[in-house]
Amino acid sequence: MASGRRYAHTGRPSPSSLRINRPTHISMTTRFKSRFAAAALAAAAFISAPLTAQDTIKVGVLHSLSGTMAISETSLRDVLLFAFDEINAAGGVMGKKIEPVVVDGASDWPLFAEQAKKLLEQDKVAVVFGCWTSVSRKSVLPVFEQNNGLLFYPVQYEGEELSKNIFYTAEAVNQQATPGVDYLLGELGKKKFYLLGSDYVYPRTTNLVLKEYLTSKGIPAANIREVYTPFGHTDYQRIVAEIKQFAASGDAAVVSTLNGDTNVPFFRELANAGIDSADCPVISFSVSEDEFRGLPTKDLIGHLGAWSYFMSVDTPANTAFKNKFFAWLAKSTVPGIEKTGRVTNSPMVLSYGGVYLWKAAVEKAGSVEVDKVRAALIGASFDGPGGKLTVQANHHVTKNVYIGETLPNGQFKILKSYEQVYGEPFLKGTFK
Amino acid sequence: MQNGDGRCPVPVLSFCDVSFHFCIQFLVTSLLAAMPALAADSALVRTLLAPPAEQAALIRGLLEAEDDRIRPTLEAWRTGEVFIHTGADGTRIPFLLDGEADASGARSAVAVADGAPLTGPDGRPLVLLSSSLTAIETNAVIRRAIRDISEVIGLSDPAPDVRKTAAERLGMTQRADYEPILELRLGREQNAGVRRALEDGLALIRLSHGSIEAKIEAIRVLEGSNHLGVVDQLKTLVAEGEKEGVTPEVIRAAQRTIISTERHFFWVNFFGTAFRGVSLGSVLLVTALGLAITYGLMGVINMAHGEIMVVGAYATFVTQNLFAGWFGADGALYDWYFVAALPVAFLSAGLVGLALERGVIRWLYRRPLESLLATWGVSLALQQGFRTIFGPANVQINSPAFLQGNVTWFDIAFTYNRIFVIGFAVVVVVGTWLLLTRTRFGLYIRAVTQNRAMASCMGVQAERVNMLTFAFGSGLAGLAGACLSQLGNVGPGLGQSHIVDCFMVVVAGGVGNIAGTVIAALGIGSIDQMLQPFLGAVMGKILVLVFIILFLQWKPGGLFPTRNRSLD
Repeated sequence: MASGRRYAHTGRPSPSSLRINRPTHISMTTRFKSRFAAAALAAAAFISAPLTAQDTIKVGVLHSLSGTMAISETSLRDVLLFAFDEINAAGGVMGKKIEPVVVDGASDWPLFAEQAKKLLEQDKVAVVFGCWTSVSRKSVLPVFEQNNGLLFYPVQYEGEELSKNIFYTAEAVNQQATPGVDYLLGELGKKKFYLLGSDYVYPRTTNLVLKEYLTSKGIPAANIREVYTPFGHTDYQRIVAEIKQFAASGDAAVVSTLNGDTNVPFFRELANAGIDSADCPVISFSVSEDEFRGLPTKDLIGHLGAWSYFMSVDTPANTAFKNKFFAWLAKSTVPGIEKTGRVTNSPMVLSYGGVYLWKAAVEKAGSVEVDKVRAALIGASFDGPGGKLTVQANHHVTKNVYIGETLPNGQFKILKSYEQVYGEPFLKGTFK
Repeated sequence: MQNGDGRCPVPVLSFCDVSFHFCIQFLVTSLLAAMPALAADSALVRTLLAPPAEQAALIRGLLEAEDDRIRPTLEAWRTGEVFIHTGADGTRIPFLLDGEADASGARSAVAVADGAPLTGPDGRPLVLLSSSLTAIETNAVIRRAIRDISEVIGLSDPAPDVRKTAAERLGMTQRADYEPILELRLGREQNAGVRRALEDGLALIRLSHGSIEAKIEAIRVLEGSNHLGVVDQLKTLVAEGEKEGVTPEVIRAAQRTIISTERHFFWVNFFGTAFRGVSLGSVLLVTALGLAITYGLMGVINMAHGEIMVVGAYATFVTQNLFAGWFGADGALYDWYFVAALPVAFLSAGLVGLALERGVIRWLYRRPLESLLATWGVSLALQQGFRTIFGPANVQINSPAFLQGNVTWFDIAFTYNRIFVIGFAVVVVVGTWLLLTRTRFGLYIRAVTQNRAMASCMGVQAERVNMLTFAFGSGLAGLAGACLSQLGNVGPGLGQSHIVDCFMVVVAGGVGNIAGTVIAALGIGSIDQMLQPFLGAVMGKILVLVFIILFLQWKPGGLFPTRNRSLD
């Protein structure tokens, strides 16, 4: 009954989910069975093939490989498969090979929950690496809590969440948005802020926190404007005209949480209206090197980004990572994998780091049991391509933060770095 | 200088008196005449090779060197097109890529210093690919300096408009460094308009840096000049002015300036909204016009209309790539790919439409529900086809240079791509109207639309007319796709995001009536833009939909209901 209440509470009542905690998954309901019969059969056939449970550890990969988010999420699947191959080549985890189970969330949030259930109940994976949008994470969260699963989430997000079953390798707001705004306030001396975002939970929550932060820094409410546009919006004429007037005094900046391909019409309109980064820089929190591949980079020179990794990070660890990843891509046999024009970005590196943090914890705990791994994860650390990652007690990760500006070749030049920033998920109401 | 007309291109050593300044200038001129470009170029080269921290100061120092090459070289630097070649003896030579690109896109390397081609170790000229080189880096400070320098050089441009814009821009920077330069120019400027801009620019600078007397004087100058950028400063001055001993008269002047500026921008926003409404309406019109033919006139509910637009958009992409292959992405003819893409988009989308009509729709003419489902299926198949051929990610379509940028008039930026869409919509609508009313084919279309049986009896080949009408409507959708490629993203999902808007426009305008479609498109576009400032983009769009639903409750036939065979 407890589970039923929880599902009703999260607005996802479903007959099959009520029975989710039954002792074994063999006694699934007819409905559940019919829905997954084919998949289960295929999976069973696949699983019982050559390798037995003794010499492999199954891990889940849950990303959108089709639909609107596929552009971004497919890269994460690629880097995860690369990390598994790399670990397996080096002897695996506790001497066991990692066996990835890749499922497609198809940019469909309820499907994410179903796929998560399948991974945890049928495939019995030890850990899942996945999700991009906050709404997909919110929809799988109850599944992970009920099955006591383990999820590593790698993409910058809005905070205000903490589940014992999720580890957030992602940038929290204070590891991306507030350092970015600090740069605008300090180094660039900006005094007016135009907060522009896509209309969903991440931009709205982030902007809520940013408004409190800016107010605490003495920016009057009249100098902050907050504007949202729907997903897939293409008509940025009015917003750009408004930005032009807003920025006429020369001390304004745009803080953009626009997600996905709406960035193209926005930046095109901005460039056409003759607003360049010298007049009014735009700092974007959702545009990384990967998204740049679809943007007219010449129009974007000098605009800013804030991430915990840039492909241009100049360290031996990053050079080695890039070389190995591109070499792996070149000879990869994953069907449909893109081999040319590839880049690396922060969500990829945080996904990659998540795998190694999990490996370290499993080896420390001597088991893949979720409760033991969770305890061992606290304090685990990994020297990744973007710098050291350390898991905190609050399931977030201490990491470096970089502010970069865009170059004509679609890369970022690092302007400022903040070393080892502690991830703080609950910021709302803390700036006074 | 080199062109010998005696005007001063750049104010040199602006702190010294004018006669001394001319002496120096004369000396520099004769030196330059003796050793063409050498002095200037070495300063330029020194700047390019300097450590980044010193570059901004050196750029501002380039004011004292004079060369036609400074401005283009700095501009190339700003956009990442100046590179460094390290010679065999370790000397570093800044160079640009110049000339026609070869098959691989590589161009010959030309030294910044003397414009001579660079040679490799084997003595042959270097031909390099820009993507394989590392450009000399810039940062915000350097780019700012480059832009300011361009404006300072622009102050002595022969064209008054350029001088005027330069004066306005330098004023807007409100940097005290430019005060002497503007003063110097003001002493020489003859053109009244440019003088006014220089005075305004000086006032803007003094408003933020001058003494209280200078500020008061600046407010007097700025009264009635409508600079939005100083409103904040004026408001502060009004709020705190009395403490600082500003007389009430000056405060009143500042208040008058604030009010007149705000009134000015009320009208700017009013006409800006009108322009944006017409522009959004034109986009809606261009996308809906094809549907006005296939759905409006023929009564076919074509859910694949959006995907036929996407065919046009991908045709533009393919044409662009062909042009890049033939002429090189930097070639002079490359920009004309878009003009060539329009007929290509029209024909390819028309052919897809023709195949759709022959293959599916002609069997379903009197069965709207089946045609809805069948065309929906076709749209899914086409989307998957785009994914297979062009990949799931958006493709990049570059705007030709003549569609980039804007013309600013009355403080409204009229962007060229929007102006183009408006003009394009007019041409397409007029063309369609002429075709329907002035040609024999148009007569047939109207005849078959109004009464198919009677038209057949009179000897019109109704089936053939249907086929061609549908192909024509699809061709118009293809043109819309080409147009959309200049405004937003081109990907497999592009059609889905426009199909609802298209139906909305055609239904609101009255099915079967082109004039209704035109008015509905412009009306919806304008209402959307009018609501946006108050409600935001999301609520604005919802409210427009609510309006349309209420409107259709009141007038179920749309703006101009017509009777035809499909509705009877």
